[in-house]
Amino acid sequence: MPLPEWHAGPVLQIYKEKKMKLKLSVLIFTAMVLGFFLTPAVQAHTPLCSCYDNGDGSVTCEGGFSDGSSAAGVQMRVEDGAGKVLIQGKMDDDSEFTFDKPPGNYKVAFDAGEGHDITVHGKEITE
Amino acid sequence: MKHAITTISTLAILALTVPAFAHFQMIYTPESALNKGGKIPLAIVFTHPFEAGHTMEMGTPEQFFVTRSRGENTPKKTDLLSSLKPIKWTSLTNSGAAYETEYSARGGDHIFCLVPAPYYEAEEDAYIQQSTKMIVNVGGEPGAWMEPVGLDCEIVPLCKPYDRWTGNVFQGKVLFKEKPVAGAEIEIEFMNHKPLLGQKAFAKDASAVAPQAAFVLQTIFADDNGVFTFGIPKAGWWGFAALGLDPEGSFKGKECSRDAVIWIQAKDMK
Repeated sequence: MPLPEWHAGPVLQIYKEKKMKLKLSVLIFTAMVLGFFLTPAVQAHTPLCSCYDNGDGSVTCEGGFSDGSSAAGVQMRVEDGAGKVLIQGKMDDDSEFTFDKPPGNYKVAFDAGEGHDITVHGKEITE
Repeated sequence: MKHAITTISTLAILALTVPAFAHFQMIYTPESALNKGGKIPLAIVFTHPFEAGHTMEMGTPEQFFVTRSRGENTPKKTDLLSSLKPIKWTSLTNSGAAYETEYSARGGDHIFCLVPAPYYEAEEDAYIQQSTKMIVNVGGEPGAWMEPVGLDCEIVPLCKPYDRWTGNVFQGKVLFKEKPVAGAEIEIEFMNHKPLLGQKAFAKDASAVAPQAAFVLQTIFADDNGVFTFGIPKAGWWGFAALGLDPEGSFKGKECSRDAVIWIQAKDMK
């Protein structure tokens, strides 16, 4: 049933306002969702990285966060005693990074951004 | 003659008033929340933990494995049955066949699972089989501690079993063949005598005194969803045993109580 003419104006107005509000909230929501995925470090979590000597000349580092979120894709660096980068890579899909153990002093850097980086010294890495 | 009757009746009364201790299958390691990975010792003992009492003779377990999970990774199952070494475990009253092993733990959750051989309890002319879980975390990164591992009789924790402060509650869900067991009866015991792994024995000193036999073995029931709640009054290891989950449980033609056990470790806030 069509609305009487005297009614149609305000109703349309309200409808338009609602649509505007809806559009705005959709925008805000989209921004929030995007923001959530683009800044993985916003939650209250601590970065974690432990490395183990596999006993076969290789070392495996396991990364993660205290809330259980994945560290896949986090930048990994292996540096010598002087800070020279020997190996560069990323945590794999299982949040693991395996590399050949360098001779002498070395350290491993887990770099998930500011405030979320960990350095593990080679001499602390055991089986 | 009168003396003999007195002796016999005294013995009969003693036999009838032995406190109803609960059997508890233990998987023990000293620390459930480790900061670093490495080799951890495990002792597998079937005993009465509050009193460090009679320790039963264990047969070769049916299953012993661990599932390890870290973050969002899919849990990986490792069979550990062949790593078990038979030992004699000494309680305050006897010694019984038990097992020990070592495991190299890395980061995340490790759910140790044991399905022991059914144990024949002569006094009841029936068997007991307690499927047991004990969870160790390394480094604080959680894994799939809250997921069922798929044992027929299983308690699934609803709280991290390794992060409880004294005074927190512990909640678990009792499952039989993956379905919640409404109203399941749960017995609870505190590991009141420290297991001394080097000596393969319980320490003589108890850390708590029960004012009466009921306190040795506490009893609670799960709700209609199979969920139970327990407030933890003291730091240390607590065992929960959900009893007789298989209504048709039998072994070698006799009744078999198929139970689910889980161990948790609480810490004092200091």
